[in-house]
Amino acid sequence: MIFVQLLVNSLIIGSIYALVASGFSLIYSTNKFMHFAHGVMVAVSAYLLFLTFDLLHISFWISCILTLIGAAILGLGTYRLLYLPLQNRKSSNVILLIASVGILILFENLLLLIFGADIKTIGFISVSKGMEFAGVIITPLQAIIILTSIIIFIALWLFMNYTKLGRNMRAVSDNKELANIIGINHRAVADLSFILGSVLAGIAGILIGLEQNLAPTMGMNLIIKGFTGAIIGGITSVPGSVIGSYILGIAENYGIWWLPSEYKDAIAFVLLFIFLLFKPNGLFGKKGGRT
Amino acid sequence: MIEAYFVHILILVCIYVILAVSLNIALGYTGLLNMGHIAFFGIGAYTSALLTKAGTPYIIALFAAGILASLMGCILVYATRKLKGDYLALATLGFSFVVYSLMLNWTSLTRGALGIPGISKPCFFGLCIANNNEFLVFALIITALTVFIIYRIANSNFGRLLQAARDDELGLRVLGKNTFKLKMKSMMISAFFAGIAGSLFAHYISYIDPGSFMMNEVILVFTIVIVGGLASIRGSIVATFIIIIIPELLRLVALPSSILGPARQIIYAVILIAILLLRPKGLFGRIDLE
Repeated sequence: MIFVQLLVNSLIIGSIYALVASGFSLIYSTNKFMHFAHGVMVAVSAYLLFLTFDLLHISFWISCILTLIGAAILGLGTYRLLYLPLQNRKSSNVILLIASVGILILFENLLLLIFGADIKTIGFISVSKGMEFAGVIITPLQAIIILTSIIIFIALWLFMNYTKLGRNMRAVSDNKELANIIGINHRAVADLSFILGSVLAGIAGILIGLEQNLAPTMGMNLIIKGFTGAIIGGITSVPGSVIGSYILGIAENYGIWWLPSEYKDAIAFVLLFIFLLFKPNGLFGKKGGRT
Repeated sequence: MIEAYFVHILILVCIYVILAVSLNIALGYTGLLNMGHIAFFGIGAYTSALLTKAGTPYIIALFAAGILASLMGCILVYATRKLKGDYLALATLGFSFVVYSLMLNWTSLTRGALGIPGISKPCFFGLCIANNNEFLVFALIITALTVFIIYRIANSNFGRLLQAARDDELGLRVLGKNTFKLKMKSMMISAFFAGIAGSLFAHYISYIDPGSFMMNEVILVFTIVIVGGLASIRGSIVATFIIIIIPELLRLVALPSSILGPARQIIYAVILIAILLLRPKGLFGRIDLE
């Protein structure tokens, strides 16, 4: 029974990681640099929901829409105002990575400054007792998180494979020069990837904000986990990143079966380090990571 | 009172000068994108604190801190030898996470989040440092020695080889040089001095916990090196003064400490982003960050 309960717990936490990883990996695959600040976009979204719903008392669904719009503007703004000028100057990926970490720290501390260090909760769904379902305990919200993320991943997969915009994105991610030659505007595709990736961050922020307490430092923790999931699955592949995130969830939950529970975070760090050293392209990624 | 405050700031400047100058050897001169520098700092701090707690003389603990950090640097370079660019940066960052979680979870050794309190002030052959003024003199001596040694290394034949490895690795290999060994030596020197800085930090603050060795601190040291300019030791020293002292000006307007902490981090982040956008070579840099 513990086995099944741990599997369900893995699915819950894996879904959260996968929501973070999918947007991160989507942005990486089209733009080929690491948008580490993606994690803080999730945190800012969770706080936006707290601001609109709990402080301004706007109705829940409108708050959600405002949050997603805010996330999209923030993501696009970061790209246009920071990454694009750097890219135009032919800065390397490492510069973009450092700039991105700078943004992460900037927003994390802005959240700390505006909302304070104390933990916030979003009171939309009152904490309910877990349902017992074939001996496994799961709260309705956790079930919603798993279902929503699976629906989103399927929709994302359909979008990437069966719409013109999605196919353009994959073309740019495959080969930017070739895509340019056949008339795909890679600038517009980059904009789109940041909007879409940040909306995914917004959805993650909403779901995580409902499930967990809000803390300004949550962005850093989330991007480390999401990033680890993406590296395990292959950062260039969005479906791979999603699967990698579930693998990370499973590894964490079954790992603490025989390790002390404080080691939960260490499991992710060690997996991240091992994959970066021995399999930097991940399980499903394309070759070319070790450039 | 104000004097004690200046002494405190100067000691911090000394510690960060050592950190920045040592990072510059790896990052600026050799082009090794090491985002895990703070891990060496932490390893040095813990090594030195634990050894002196166990009764080891300070002078031995100080060197042990440098040597253990240096050995970890050696292992890190060996482990990441096939990685380049942002993958190398992230693997070294991952290394610092692993070290951080060891500090946090290896409770039988490090006491975890409780940290190690009551670390003694340094003693040499029965002569102990009694107050911060004396500590400042000690820190200044160590800093001057470090800067002198690193300056000599950077301007030696070996230092020029390191720069050659950064600029044209393949070309240097064609000339029959083992660039991997060069990188390893560079990282070991860099890590050694970071460990020494860690020891100074631990024995000055007299209390360490894993929180002092997190990502924010990496970015602080990175910012110093980038603001000062890659491969410029003078730049790193000047930038340390600027970066450490600017946020201290906030104290003049008497902000509460709940605002002071985030405000300081925001200033660091804004300086970092601004310098990347406006002057990527830094104040005294001669080369672009690649």
